[in-house]
Amino acid sequence: MLGKKASLSRTLPLLAVMFFAFSLFVPNFVNDSFAKEAFAERAFAEEAFAKEVLAEEEAAEGAAGEECEISQDVFYKDWEGNPLKGCVSGHPAPDLGETDYNTYSFAPSRMILWISNQQHLYFGSFVLAVPIFCMVIEFIGIRTRKEDPVMAKKYDKLAHDLMKISLTAYSWTAILGGILLFTFITLFPGFFKYMATIFRPVMHVYALMFLAESGVLYVYYYGWDKMSADPFLKWVHVSLAALLNLIGTVLMYLANSWATFMQAPGGIDEQGRFLGNIWHVIHSTLWNPVGVHRILGNIVFGGGIVGAYAAYHYLNARNEEEKAHYDWVCYVAMFIAIFGLIPLPFAGYWLMKEVYAFRQQMGITLMGGIMAWLFIIQAVMIGLLFFGANSYLHNGMSRVKGSERYMKYCKYMVLVLILMFTMWMTPHTIVMTPAELKVMGGAQHPIVGHFGVMSAKNTAVNIMITTTVLCFLLYQRSNKRITVPWATVGNCWIAAIFVGAVVNIAFLGYYGYFLPANQRVGLSVPQVTSTLTTLFAGTAINISMFKDSESFGDIEWGTQSKVGTYAIFMLAIAFTWLMGLMGYIRSAVRLFWHVTEVVRDNSVDAYTLTIGEAGKMLTFNTLFVWVQIVIVFWVGSLTGKKAAVEKAPEGVPVPAQQQQ
Amino acid sequence: MKQGLTSFIIFVLGLPIFHNFIFPMFQTSSGLNPARYVGFILFVLTFIIIHLILRLKPPMAMKALFVWGFGFYFYDYVLIPHIPWTLFITYMMLWSIGTFLYISQDAATFKEFRRPIVKTIVGEYKLARIVVFIFLPVFVGFTTYKSLLPKFEEPVELRTVHPAPPATTRVHGKTCALEKTRNPFRIQEQDDYQTAFPFLDVNKDFGKGGTGAQYMKNVTEGGTIFFQNCHYCHGDQLNGLGMFSHVFNPTPANFIDPGTIAMLRESFLFWRVSKGGPGLPNESTPWSSAMPPWEEHLKTEQIWKVILFEYWYTGWHPRTFDTEPAYIGAPVPPGGIGSDPETCM
Repeated sequence: MLGKKASLSRTLPLLAVMFFAFSLFVPNFVNDSFAKEAFAERAFAEEAFAKEVLAEEEAAEGAAGEECEISQDVFYKDWEGNPLKGCVSGHPAPDLGETDYNTYSFAPSRMILWISNQQHLYFGSFVLAVPIFCMVIEFIGIRTRKEDPVMAKKYDKLAHDLMKISLTAYSWTAILGGILLFTFITLFPGFFKYMATIFRPVMHVYALMFLAESGVLYVYYYGWDKMSADPFLKWVHVSLAALLNLIGTVLMYLANSWATFMQAPGGIDEQGRFLGNIWHVIHSTLWNPVGVHRILGNIVFGGGIVGAYAAYHYLNARNEEEKAHYDWVCYVAMFIAIFGLIPLPFAGYWLMKEVYAFRQQMGITLMGGIMAWLFIIQAVMIGLLFFGANSYLHNGMSRVKGSERYMKYCKYMVLVLILMFTMWMTPHTIVMTPAELKVMGGAQHPIVGHFGVMSAKNTAVNIMITTTVLCFLLYQRSNKRITVPWATVGNCWIAAIFVGAVVNIAFLGYYGYFLPANQRVGLSVPQVTSTLTTLFAGTAINISMFKDSESFGDIEWGTQSKVGTYAIFMLAIAFTWLMGLMGYIRSAVRLFWHVTEVVRDNSVDAYTLTIGEAGKMLTFNTLFVWVQIVIVFWVGSLTGKKAAVEKAPEGVPVPAQQQQ
Repeated sequence: MKQGLTSFIIFVLGLPIFHNFIFPMFQTSSGLNPARYVGFILFVLTFIIIHLILRLKPPMAMKALFVWGFGFYFYDYVLIPHIPWTLFITYMMLWSIGTFLYISQDAATFKEFRRPIVKTIVGEYKLARIVVFIFLPVFVGFTTYKSLLPKFEEPVELRTVHPAPPATTRVHGKTCALEKTRNPFRIQEQDDYQTAFPFLDVNKDFGKGGTGAQYMKNVTEGGTIFFQNCHYCHGDQLNGLGMFSHVFNPTPANFIDPGTIAMLRESFLFWRVSKGGPGLPNESTPWSSAMPPWEEHLKTEQIWKVILFEYWYTGWHPRTFDTEPAYIGAPVPPGGIGSDPETCM
């Protein structure tokens, strides 16, 4: 890339800047790594001392006559575990009455808000996910340029096409965001006024970040062709994608802070008065887990949409070339979706742990209380996702030459998946008639009754993920004959990692039955570590073994089975529904609060829906968003259809302006 | 075709023979006894080995039928006590999905699976088509008749067993925040059940201000109260099988089960015991719980002692969170336990 003299002059300053930045960064990093623990105590003491001094100074200033009412934070605590104190700088939360809510006659306000919010979130997820794909795909395209220029071009074209769709979806998202804002202002003015007062500075930052996102997005998309010719500019272009994702992530985190504040507020006192520190308001206890969970969720959702789009075109393809192209796009989209799906349950687990730690009451409402049956439905949907992903991998593997070596293991992997999912699905409280209860001799079944607790659930989901990882590894190597001299050792290592992981997960699951709950929760960490080890170490060893491998033949793109293709549709729809479901659960757990324990929801809509009603709303939202997605893709495809240039018949004179 | 027929005959004859003559040898009255499961696995292995010896390769549709049939047989007959209908449906749905994943793992197997179905529909297998087209409407009609036939059983209802407790509760005129409420008689957070169970060392010092003797005295008092009031329903082994338990629906809580007190805080139990069935929120159908509000019969102190006993007897530890303030091991407050606001006393 840097070989050319012409680009050298531009490269040197860049290298110098990078070296300078690196030299600044590395010592800090090293220091951070090695000295973190050593200086933590000292830093802590210094912070404590500084706070004490500040408090004394503030007290002295207060004594000097400056008005500042001190109040206690509802969430944050100081270094001694006492509620953090802050200077009141806002009004108390309003006690909302009838006049603070407006309604339309055709639908309850809450339903209108739910639909607008959910639709905006769906599209927001998609437009945040696509730039992540584009960045990765474009990067892969650049890296493979020398080895395989044809593939590199394909990658680049795919990223460009996806971005084109994203551009239309971006405008759509902004429109839906506007609708959401107006819904808040018109139907929930009292509540929105309070939120706007608390988040006033952040809302402006959000708007500015949106502006930055738009700017970078347009430069990134419209500069694609122009920046593709020069290798240096191509790197700048992919850096723009990184910047775009960075801004997008900040945007998402800012918007998340409003939702997480409503669920688990911080930075305010019991009356809802702002205590002067906006960071505490933003950085409430659920902010980070929700952020990570959403990033991964966006990736899976985006992968699902792109996969469904490609699957539709695959089934409708008119020629072999088209079929092969869309089959390949399905593969790339599914690869991305499964990559996001594997760690997603862990992020969800972290989020639930934080919810429990925030309020036990909220955790019980979710997992054992009024929302528990919705969690059972969630378990079904997650199972469908894993079944869909594995079905796609099995079918995808079967069309690869050489895969017959591994296809025989598929049935055993299906068996493991089903058994684990049976464990995962078994509820603690079984719905049964009194006669059945008497037959069982009690509320718990002596055998399957043990599957109703977290020890069993964690074990089951970890083994399901490990099985999916194994399937993925076999898929990777299905058309390769390993030739490295250490092939046997490598295979032994992979086998040892998987067997070790499963034994560890199963043992810890069993051991968890004999431990107190707080220690049992801790066991999930080594279980997850085992699973992730299979993913990272297994994949790393697997890929290392591909060096100098012989191929049984290229993957025959365009020969994917219909079952595998329909599995993609199922994945996409299941994920859309699941996303709506979990969003509803997370939001509805506040019950009759707008902001938990601070702003009470006094509207006529402050009730919890029955499971059936919630299900109808979720299904409507899923159908509605898919109708819109189809429209967006159709609009996106319009620009792709180039009008055939009409050629002037022979002998007809061409006007001078049209002559070249 | 011939191979398929042979395989089908082995399956159709083998299953009744096993069920009526061989399986009774493995019969056990307890579901926990592994003998019956070993017997079932031996039967399945025998079925596979016979196929290997005779080199039978039944068509995919038949394989699917065998797999599905073995699953049905396991859940319906082998697993005891019989699981409730809702769970049976769930398990069979999962098993059916698994069977489908097995047959659709690649285009070739799926095509092979579909072939006899397609041939039956288009009429190549005439006899099969006649049988299916007669059997199917009869089956649908019978199922409809069964489902519409009036039943006199109590309807099932979705009930929330562990509802979220309120933020505060008022017991004996004192309001306590459940998030902070603790058991005043608990000396050590986790107790040392592993090494001392079932008899704690009375001479062991469990922490500041408390001794094993005092702890055991409280546990014993709690046990006495339990056997005077609770064991009629919750059972003398705390397994929910007391002498009155069978007349209740739902049955009383089984404290031995890892999904009950083992995953709850003591404050949750305090609220449930104090308020009983009538204190439950609507989602938990308070009209379905027969437990009285024990605050009307027991003192606050007695309720805490019963809870202490229940954990001690079962060997479980109350749920705690890492971020909780370190109140464990704190001495009993001067002036007696009645002055501590965190104990609701």
